[in-house]
Amino acid sequence: MGENIGGRTALWDALPGYDLIEEVDLPEMHSWFLDATHSVPPWTPLFGWYWIRFCCHGMKVVCDELSIPTCKGWEMRYRDGGSYNAFHIVRDKKEIAERAVKFRQALRPWIDNFDGLWESGKRELLGMYDKLKAVDMENASHVELYRHNYDLMNTYRRMFEIHFLGMYSSYSAWLLLEDLCKERFGMKDQDPEFQDMLRGFNNKVYEMDKSLWDFSQLAVDMGLKDVFVQNKPDDLRAKLEMSEKGREWFRKFMHYLETDEVGGWRMRRMNDLTEPYWLEDPCTPLGVIRNHVQKETADVFGNVHAELSKNREAAVARFLQRVPPPERPFFEGLINLAGKASSYSEEHDLYCELISHALLRRGYLGMGRRLAKSGTIDQPDDIFMLNPDEIDRVLMVPDRHDLRFITRRRRAEWLEWHNRPNPPVITDRSGMEEAVAMDLLPSMDAVAMKIVVGELPEHKPELGADMFGICGCAGEIEGPARVVINYEDLKDVQPGDILVCPGTNPAWTPVYGMVAAVVADRGGTLSHAAIIGREYGVPTIVNTFEGTAKIKTGQRLRIHAAEGAIFILDK
Amino acid sequence: MSTEKRIFWFEELEEKHNDIVGKKCANLGQMVHLGMPVPPGFAISIEMYRRFLDLSGASKEMRIYAEDLGDLKGVGIGTFDEVSRRLQDIIEEKDVPAEVRDPILRYYEELCERLGMPDAAVSVRSAGTESRPGMFETYLNVIGATDLLDKIKKVWASAYTPRAVAFRVNKGFPLIGDELGVAVPKMVNSRSSGVSFTVDPVTGDDTRIILEANWGLGEGVVSGSGSVDGFVVEKETLAIVNRHIGQKTRCVVNREKGAEWVDVPEKMQRIPCLADEEVLEIVKTGITVEKRLGCPQDMEWAVDGDLPFPKNLFWLQTRPAKVQVKKPVSTTDQIIDLLAKRYQ
Repeated sequence: MGENIGGRTALWDALPGYDLIEEVDLPEMHSWFLDATHSVPPWTPLFGWYWIRFCCHGMKVVCDELSIPTCKGWEMRYRDGGSYNAFHIVRDKKEIAERAVKFRQALRPWIDNFDGLWESGKRELLGMYDKLKAVDMENASHVELYRHNYDLMNTYRRMFEIHFLGMYSSYSAWLLLEDLCKERFGMKDQDPEFQDMLRGFNNKVYEMDKSLWDFSQLAVDMGLKDVFVQNKPDDLRAKLEMSEKGREWFRKFMHYLETDEVGGWRMRRMNDLTEPYWLEDPCTPLGVIRNHVQKETADVFGNVHAELSKNREAAVARFLQRVPPPERPFFEGLINLAGKASSYSEEHDLYCELISHALLRRGYLGMGRRLAKSGTIDQPDDIFMLNPDEIDRVLMVPDRHDLRFITRRRRAEWLEWHNRPNPPVITDRSGMEEAVAMDLLPSMDAVAMKIVVGELPEHKPELGADMFGICGCAGEIEGPARVVINYEDLKDVQPGDILVCPGTNPAWTPVYGMVAAVVADRGGTLSHAAIIGREYGVPTIVNTFEGTAKIKTGQRLRIHAAEGAIFILDK
Repeated sequence: MSTEKRIFWFEELEEKHNDIVGKKCANLGQMVHLGMPVPPGFAISIEMYRRFLDLSGASKEMRIYAEDLGDLKGVGIGTFDEVSRRLQDIIEEKDVPAEVRDPILRYYEELCERLGMPDAAVSVRSAGTESRPGMFETYLNVIGATDLLDKIKKVWASAYTPRAVAFRVNKGFPLIGDELGVAVPKMVNSRSSGVSFTVDPVTGDDTRIILEANWGLGEGVVSGSGSVDGFVVEKETLAIVNRHIGQKTRCVVNREKGAEWVDVPEKMQRIPCLADEEVLEIVKTGITVEKRLGCPQDMEWAVDGDLPFPKNLFWLQTRPAKVQVKKPVSTTDQIIDLLAKRYQ
């Protein structure tokens, strides 16, 4: 950094070193893309600090470990609760060629043994999580809490290093398959025939959704149907405790949450610490189970999935017929690896983000209670307004510090950010298209292109649609719009609604069992919204950029997902 | 007379018509659909060949002759020559019955009309249902109805060249066999022509395209006699990474009656017979077609001396390339190779 850039010296605030300062950051990277998939609604400073510091670190480590030829990782900055990302693109041909040599070696084990390597990554993470869980937050000494702060950081750092290894290797295969299919068979990854080949995989998210459905069946079998139908999720626990059968059912259910390796360690909102995880507050899974009981959901988890998986086998067989025989083993291998992108994309969320975030919440709320008791902050969850360095400074002698001047101001700012959406890109280029062309696409970065930024929609004026996005899962359907920005408003979604949202994450998965279609502001064909759309056979359009801004709840929509077209029928 | 269609314009054909018109004709149709400029022309179906043999009585005569011969396995080359001469004679001596002759001549007339020239020069090329390069005959610069019918008969008879007869006998196939379709494309007035391989047929290197070219007609290259021009082009960069200008002393040209070998004038012997832009045009089409068809191609093309670039390039054939050496590559290696290549 040069001295006195832009004629003034900016001060770091919430995330020292990671706050976006245009005078410094724009000349260096030119374009900063909002990660609307993960950072809408706006993040608290504590979560922002964690994500921006360590997700960014994980990207760099994995781009280095795998020696991704055209990208040395990402840079991330925090601005008004949003994450802005830029890419360290390698532009020198010679350097790209040199990196490619190592890339080939580093990738080989992932092609040969993806499942085995991911399994060992999971085991390593679960081992670290067990140590964190072992800390008794209420009875720990100050120094134990102080150390816990560092153990959390270290676990989270390692989590993101593991996280991106599986992601880059499988997503790269997806991109290669997409390239080859487009070039050789005129088939894009938005085409149903392509998508059919890569869905219907079993994974842990699906298994857990299925378990909740099983518990709904158990409830019916045990004669508890009425308890579920007649009570709100918030009251269910208390009502169940009132009968012998109810207590038995609830004990079994809690046993599952406690003993399944990821089970109850699942955040309600994936990307922040402000909302409880399942074990902390079982209302969320109970609400899902209640929904199944009430609506008598039958086949989402059985037939639909079995059918998708059968369709996949048929689609792959059909495709291989078009491939010259000598190349069939190659394409089979590649489809297999690209298919990992679908299953990994869901499963890693459970083992990486959702558990880590639950443990961060557990740990920092524990420290927050200690700080609140000493009057350092007003209430335990004010700790989410601090960063770990600030916590580090006060945790050993909390009663001698008062950080309320920071937490009160930051909480007010954080609330204000909710009313003021972040711009999709901050750039010194002429606009989004130029920014994408110059500062994103040359990275050829699989994760950037397929999830966080995604491809720009193609506008097809001849269709006369009101808005365009990218096809996540094909299908045509009409229905009333339900605009949902925050997780807590998901409960308003009615069967048959078209969900219009900034993006989805695994916490939102259960709603796919009832909506007619999904329209997301951001995300590529490997974003959560798109993948789950395909897994549940729900027509899905992603990367509309302006869906939640333009569409109002209650408006009737018609969507033609294969074309990425959205029609607002009553404007 | 049957109303069954027995002659097709190339553009009416696709790969699936292989068994109806023979591989070369179906291939020409496929090339039209791939957007490759091919010389206009028509294809005579295999059924027409059968009609000719049946209606003219040749078929019966050949069968009787073959039955008298008995098993030929293990006989000497001399016998193959004799059998070949006899069977070819049976075919060539027959008149072409009206039911066969008339539609052929109607298509020829229409081709001449389309081209705006009476008695247009065409080539008459054999098209078997299986690829047997060089086994059956091709006649170049065929002009007028009489010559055309004569050469078609000769192509049909070429199912019984000594080489074809020997091949079938040695492979244990019936002596009477190899039914032929015929392709009749307009003769390109070839200034230069040649072949291109989208893979090095010797090393199996698929990152380069190899061209060989000579003045005149393609026969001057494929016959493999004498020195020709060679170009090696890198697919990725389209750079001509190797060029060899051979001393082209002989080439094949169109003559009033048929094609023949002639001496190349001295001043043309050591200069390239293709301009670089022509080389690149050939290479670009080669890359596209290889991608579309999904495997390396062995292609023939000709550059017409009467037309300006880039309209002067005509494609005569494309087929999967036979590669001598192919290093065994595991699926993992292929995925790694392609993934690494994506980033280049």
